[in-house]
Amino acid sequence: MTDKNDVWQGTLALMVLKTLETIGPLHGYGIARRIEQTSGDLLSVNYGTLYPALLKLEQEGFIASEWGVSDNNRKAKFYKLTRTGKKQVEKEAREWEQAAAIVARFLTPGEAER
Amino acid sequence: MSVVRSWLVRLGGLFDKERRDRELSEELESHVQMHIEDNIRSGVAPEEARRQALLKLGGIDQTKERYRDRRGIPWLEARLQDIRFGLRMLRKNPGFTAVVVSTLALGIGANAIIFSLVNGFLLRPLPVLHPEQIAALAIQQKDVPLGVSGFSYSEFIDFRNQADAFSEIFGNVLSTVALSTNDRTDQLPICYVSANFFSALGLRPTVGRLIQPSDGEGFGQSRLVVLGYAFWQKRFGGDADIVGERVRINGREATIVGVASKEFRGMFSPFEIDAYLPMGAVLAEEGLSQFTLSRGQGRVLVFGRLKPGMSLPEAQNSLDVIALRLARQYPATDAGIRVRAIPEKLARPQPYANDVFIVIGALFLVFAGLVLLLACINVANVVLARALVRQREMAVRAALGAERSRLISQMLTETLLLAVFGGASGLVLAEVANRLAPSVHFPGFPLRLDFAFDWRVYTYALTTVVFAGIVSGLPPALRASRADVNSVLRDDGLSRGVGEKHRLHSDLVVAQIACSLTLLVTAGLFVRSLQHIEGTYLGFDPERVLNVVVDPSQDGYDRARTTEFYRELYEHIRALPGVQSASSAASVPMGSFPSRTSVFGDFQPADPNQQPPSILYNMIDPGYLETMRVSLLRGRDFTDADGETAPLVAIVNETMARKLWPGEDPIGKSFRMRSAAGRVVEVVGIAQDGKYQTVAEDFQPYFYVPLAQSYASRRVLEVRSGVPPEMLAAQIQREIHGIAPNVTIVDLRTMKQSLEGGTGYFAFRLGAFLAVQMGLVGLMIAVVGVYGVVSFTVSRRTHEIGVRMALGANSTEILVLVLRQGAGLIVAGVSVGLVVSWVLSRTISHVLAGVSATDPLIYAVATATLSLVALIACWIPARRATRVDPMVALRYE
Repeated sequence: MTDKNDVWQGTLALMVLKTLETIGPLHGYGIARRIEQTSGDLLSVNYGTLYPALLKLEQEGFIASEWGVSDNNRKAKFYKLTRTGKKQVEKEAREWEQAAAIVARFLTPGEAER
Repeated sequence: MSVVRSWLVRLGGLFDKERRDRELSEELESHVQMHIEDNIRSGVAPEEARRQALLKLGGIDQTKERYRDRRGIPWLEARLQDIRFGLRMLRKNPGFTAVVVSTLALGIGANAIIFSLVNGFLLRPLPVLHPEQIAALAIQQKDVPLGVSGFSYSEFIDFRNQADAFSEIFGNVLSTVALSTNDRTDQLPICYVSANFFSALGLRPTVGRLIQPSDGEGFGQSRLVVLGYAFWQKRFGGDADIVGERVRINGREATIVGVASKEFRGMFSPFEIDAYLPMGAVLAEEGLSQFTLSRGQGRVLVFGRLKPGMSLPEAQNSLDVIALRLARQYPATDAGIRVRAIPEKLARPQPYANDVFIVIGALFLVFAGLVLLLACINVANVVLARALVRQREMAVRAALGAERSRLISQMLTETLLLAVFGGASGLVLAEVANRLAPSVHFPGFPLRLDFAFDWRVYTYALTTVVFAGIVSGLPPALRASRADVNSVLRDDGLSRGVGEKHRLHSDLVVAQIACSLTLLVTAGLFVRSLQHIEGTYLGFDPERVLNVVVDPSQDGYDRARTTEFYRELYEHIRALPGVQSASSAASVPMGSFPSRTSVFGDFQPADPNQQPPSILYNMIDPGYLETMRVSLLRGRDFTDADGETAPLVAIVNETMARKLWPGEDPIGKSFRMRSAAGRVVEVVGIAQDGKYQTVAEDFQPYFYVPLAQSYASRRVLEVRSGVPPEMLAAQIQREIHGIAPNVTIVDLRTMKQSLEGGTGYFAFRLGAFLAVQMGLVGLMIAVVGVYGVVSFTVSRRTHEIGVRMALGANSTEILVLVLRQGAGLIVAGVSVGLVVSWVLSRTISHVLAGVSATDPLIYAVATATLSLVALIACWIPARRATRVDPMVALRYE
């Protein structure tokens, strides 16, 4: 556990949105597990921080929730991407790629010199 | 967008919390279950599976708490909680709530009333286009202070033509006229306006049209009348067909062309102007040379509209240049003139040199503020007393981790709530008082009492509410929240902490006594000032005199007919039973528009650039001095022999005699009126000094000339009677109409009534009334404060008193013990108050008449009254202390 990285707050939102875009409607526990799996178990999500993040996204109108039944017949709240949410995924992904590219330039020796 | 949305949703999150909490619990529960199932599937024991799941979640309750913070707005929730808690506390203590709310209602109500007066007089902008661009122009002539006189028409025109800093310069002349239709005649306050008056103000008519630049200011043009909205409603029932109607103004034909806008009431703030006439119409009243040609002092009140982007100092510069130019051009009349541009609001009703209205307005706002401060201190004391009772609760909560800021915020919320309720009740109180105000009216004085509440008053009231809430809540909140849990829980009633709290109590009471004393001293100053004015020497006897103003020229009487009319009228009036004597004059003291003239003579210094003195005078018939009981000190009275063809004679007053002929006998001296080439007037007598324009004026030069030698068609008849003069009014009216059925009675009132008007005691009465009210309210609040604090300490010291009595103290000693504490507070408060009043009263010394701002008698009486009443307030709890039963007191502990 200790060698895993905690998720930064800003990126958690993007991961949640991307997860919902890929998989479709999913409950909180599922989202958390999925994020950990996708990261190749390099990330550790404190599940408790996930719920305020979901609430924030819902308040901002990017995701919507409704009660449903899980695979193993358990009542759970399912989250799904809204239309504005879909646009937001694209926007945030673009911004993230841009930021990553910029940081990468600094990290690649020689390129920054130019 | 999404940010706004999320705040709105979070605001919604404040409601229906139970359902949301339930849903969250369910969601988290299913999360944990799913996690456990997964763990079990991967081979972990059920107990361990659950432990791991909860660990990963970071604890259900912590998660819920984080979730809730995001769901709502924690800060707002805390405030709402405070408000709910506060309301509950107030409901639980209805007595406390009622006392505090009514105390604050008095304080805030007093402020709202005073502010609405100031607002109505000084702050409310004119209902015209861009009112901030309007400036009043005040003219200052040599020997005549700023604002005492208006512009002469010629000077007005000069400035209008030359001042390029203003897009428009316009003026008006206040007057009264008789407006008659076929069936009735009304006497109206009107103003004669320059042709550009309405267009410069950017006003629109309600119906018809206004006087406009194309009407010109030519003298003798067809006469137009624009009615004021209120008068149109009152007199013509708001009939739009009135436009085009012909009426008579002072007996001459005129046509109503329109009605001014509803909000506009003229440019002279305390009056409602009923009609507007073109400036050219002044001629009919004044004579050509008097109005159009003369320079120097005049009656035109002038305003300018600044060009956009032009500042007042820039405009002032351009005015200074014009004044210099005119002074060179007309050295005889305009030497030394200065014109000052003053923002219109600061020049109401007229640009006086000493800004007396602004000073008085500011003064009363300060007093109202003091009353509010007194009220706040009382509330602070009561709240503090309660806070000490709740100190245990506070200390425990602080020990359990409540933040100090949270405790303070909670107590502040409580006092703010009290202040809001107090403010609401105060506004109701003020509304009621304002409704009552217009019924305290003054006969014949067309005072406009429009103190309706507008947003400015409400904003001010809201500010006072916030002020009251914070001032009365913060000191106790800071003090109580500092409670040290150790000493409080040990509950040693005599600990150092409690002593400190008593000191805060005492400081507040000292401040209260000081404020109250200041208010009392001021009330005393105003009352003394009124008394002085009422007792002031008027120079005539106002008892049982009726003044009747008539003007037969309004009905087309020529000089011969007018003279005959008056001669016949005297005979009839003198024959009436009850009449002791009757006379006539062109004006009476405190009446409108006394005449003024330049006086030339051999007393003139050699310097030709120096202006001749400008002196008020009156035209009287031989019986006037006797009827008004003005003593003739030396020389002779006028007689019937001083007729049209006889040598011109005058009677001068003492001040004129002293100023013009110092150290010489004025009888036999002579002077010329109006111009250096005027006819020679010989002084034949010296009359007593008196008051001529206002009761508060200083003695000024004044002289009398015979009516027979200086014709006036408009005259005041003075009738002195042995019976109350009101009883004669109807008879006199009958006599007048018996001789000339159509003659308009311009005015009819007793001298006493005139003295109550705007030039008389009105302002002094109003000032004294308000000051006394505030002094009394202040005294009441302060006494309640002293009583409250002393009783509180008595109740806190019950144990100590019990011990003392058990050790043999008798009731007198206990009485002295308590009284000594009260007396200490009173002495301290009075000392501070004396210093404060002494300083404050200096600033108002120039609005007081005939009383020194440091009159020791007033200070002594105020101090004695306050001390006595405050001691009585201490005596009541002290008496209670003597009845403490030592056994009960000791057992209680």
